[in-house]
Amino acid sequence: MKLIQESSKTKIVNNLIVGIFAVYGISQKQFNLGEPSLFHQVVTEVVSPVQEGLASSRKSLSSLWDNYIAIVNTSKENSVLKKQISRLESDLSSMEEIRKENLRLKRLLSYTEEQSYQKVMAQVVGWDSANEFKVIRLNKGTRHGIRTMAPVVTDQGLVGYVYRASENYADVLTILDQNNRVDIVVERTRTHGIVEGVFNFKCALKYITRNEPVEVGDKLITAGVGGIYPKGVKVGMITDITKENFGMTLSIEVVPSVDFDKLEEVMVMIPVEGSVQASFSPSETGPLTNSAVVVPANAAPASQETKI
Amino acid sequence: MKMRFSQMLVSFAISLGLLTGLEIVTSTILPAFGWHEYRLTFNVLIIIFLAIRLDSPVVPWMIMGLQTVHSVFSVEGWALGTFAGLIVMLSANYLKEVLHLTTAFMTMFTVQLFQLIWYITVTLIICLKISNFDKFGLIMWSFIPGSILLSLLSPILFWVLEQVWRVPSDGGPRGVEI
Repeated sequence: MKLIQESSKTKIVNNLIVGIFAVYGISQKQFNLGEPSLFHQVVTEVVSPVQEGLASSRKSLSSLWDNYIAIVNTSKENSVLKKQISRLESDLSSMEEIRKENLRLKRLLSYTEEQSYQKVMAQVVGWDSANEFKVIRLNKGTRHGIRTMAPVVTDQGLVGYVYRASENYADVLTILDQNNRVDIVVERTRTHGIVEGVFNFKCALKYITRNEPVEVGDKLITAGVGGIYPKGVKVGMITDITKENFGMTLSIEVVPSVDFDKLEEVMVMIPVEGSVQASFSPSETGPLTNSAVVVPANAAPASQETKI
Repeated sequence: MKMRFSQMLVSFAISLGLLTGLEIVTSTILPAFGWHEYRLTFNVLIIIFLAIRLDSPVVPWMIMGLQTVHSVFSVEGWALGTFAGLIVMLSANYLKEVLHLTTAFMTMFTVQLFQLIWYITVTLIICLKISNFDKFGLIMWSFIPGSILLSLLSPILFWVLEQVWRVPSDGGPRGVEI
């Protein structure tokens, strides 16, 4: 009887101690920014190469399928693509002229407020194993210059920002996560709002008042406020607008411009301290290098020539 | 049935290894094949097994250890799951006289029940942390499909864990006394 009582006491004491630790841990926890502990860093460095290897294996298998097995209709597709290239080259030529003119005019106006960024290419090696968090793991870390809060993009648009980073790996809080809020502008109407994740690989656009003339199909870009994301990066498109009978704001559904189902490579944009827009010029910065290159904040992140 | 402390450490180490392997499956292999939307939270399943089948004062510390390994694969961290694990363990202690995992169906039913307790706890804490209880339904709903699949898998994983922990498969609640 006495033994049973002592055992119960030990259980209660253990439960209380662990419970207090857990409550303290929860109170200190931030879901929008993380600091990796030494244990986390060590285990991540040990386990993540396995994740990286598995992710690469899948990519190789997929490549084998795409390049050698599923090449039916390639000839037809090739002919269509050639026509597209020809049209795009023509567009590119006129765009280049506009870009140069834009640069000249900005210099003329001494437009030096925008932040420049270093680009670091990284491969997605894993996703968060908990349901409620939409976080991806990259195969680049602090050793490659990645810092927390650095924005992450693809050629399709905004992915998220770096939540925590160890020496060789980094976790990115995507825009699908409920804890990530992005200041946006509706491209057509210039209306400001906030985009946040709602679990089913879609997002919600918040704080748009009922009298704003937003429509289904409107594109959203980052507003550049809040200090994390550069201005002008594509975020998504409005796919549904619901006007409730109550409330001052609209209920808006947004599909992200990035296809998270097929996300394999991303670009981390690391702010360069003291850099200014006026210093940017392709001829001055030279070609893209293996690890990083300086680009303006709102430059289209399409030219990903760096190797992963 | 009693278990030596050294044997318990070995079983716990194997459980940690098993969790690591399963976390890699969830975080890397399944997403690589397009399984993105719902996660199989194997840490919850292993903790439910320990809570139901082990009768020992060190179970809370084991839950903490398992959650610490889980935190490597998730920004959820160790604390949230440890707290939810303690709630599940205490609930299992109250219900242990009526819990008899003698059939696969009973195992699935019990695991689903404790997963609900786990997710209600976790969702409440998340809503409290983000100061937004409007999302309670949405967060809970996001757990349901994955939890059902996990319940369906639970008889297999429980059988594996019974071998690891050398628990007799008679379904009794007090499997091991350390």
